[in-house]
Amino acid sequence: MEQTAAFEDDRLKLALNLAVKGDGQAFEDLVREHQGMVFSIAYHFLQDRSLAEDLAQEVFLELFQTLDRIQSPAHLTYWLRRVTANRCIDQGRKKHRRREMALEEAPEPVASSPSADPMLLERLQQGLATLPEKQRLVVIMRFQEGLGPAEIAEVLEMPVNTVKSTLHRSLAELRKGLARKIREVRYAFF
Amino acid sequence: MHFSEDDLREALKRKDPGEGFTQRTMARVNQARVNQARVNQARAEGTAPPATKKVNGKFLAWWTLRPAWTVVVAAVLLLACGIGGYQYSEYRHAEEMRIARAKQQQLQQEAERARDQAIMALEIARAKLNHVLQHAQLQAEPSDKVRRQRL
Repeated sequence: MEQTAAFEDDRLKLALNLAVKGDGQAFEDLVREHQGMVFSIAYHFLQDRSLAEDLAQEVFLELFQTLDRIQSPAHLTYWLRRVTANRCIDQGRKKHRRREMALEEAPEPVASSPSADPMLLERLQQGLATLPEKQRLVVIMRFQEGLGPAEIAEVLEMPVNTVKSTLHRSLAELRKGLARKIREVRYAFF
Repeated sequence: MHFSEDDLREALKRKDPGEGFTQRTMARVNQARVNQARVNQARAEGTAPPATKKVNGKFLAWWTLRPAWTVVVAAVLLLACGIGGYQYSEYRHAEEMRIARAKQQQLQQEAERARDQAIMALEIARAKLNHVLQHAQLQAEPSDKVRRQRL
């Protein structure tokens, strides 16, 4: 397992070095390696596939233009997360998507595992879309990227304690929103 | 309905951007590369206009990334405007008071002058009346010389 990770790291390091020297194929490898992460952050934040794709492409374009400043694969991942988060906030401000999006607007269906409740996952995504920008990003970084509070703090340029409290508040809001939604459904039925 | 952190992880698991994303991205990157090469070549040949320095780009990015600073700057501006406004209103109030005081002083001086003139006029009138009264008394009472001649 460790060997695989080390091999993977070496491979990325090599690709990064080659890409910095102008190798297009190496840069494509880097894009392929990180596109899932960048696209998913954007998609979960914006809840719009085409906007997320556009944003992800812009992030990679910016990466291409500033590639010589990237020092290591870890730095690359950090840089991509940070730039994606910043661009998400910019995009969110431009579109005011949080206010435009109604709770009933369902995002695209998730490819859930058989054990997960698809309705619950859908409600969670809807609830996430109603959170304020920073809270949404903190939740995405925590549960999509699996980052700890310190790493999230670094990426989003926030104090660690603020990250912790934001995370706590976001989960409480998600729970409250979910409970409210269920009450509404019950009321509609009975 | 409750959810666990695993549910949240499941809801937020990474998604595939779909077929052709890499190709589309690379097409944009290659287009940017070609454009950049063209600009560099034109610049080397001296046919392209000099690259304009993006003055505001970083500042604006900084600005949008730190809304707290925006609030602070707005608060400082508001405070400065408030203090300036207050000082200006104080200055105007003081100026109005000074003008009012000067007017009052002027009115007082005019009143005193009018009083003095009135007193002087009364003095003159009194002197004239006394003079007329003396003449009238003299004419009313015949002189001793005349009285003696009659007797």
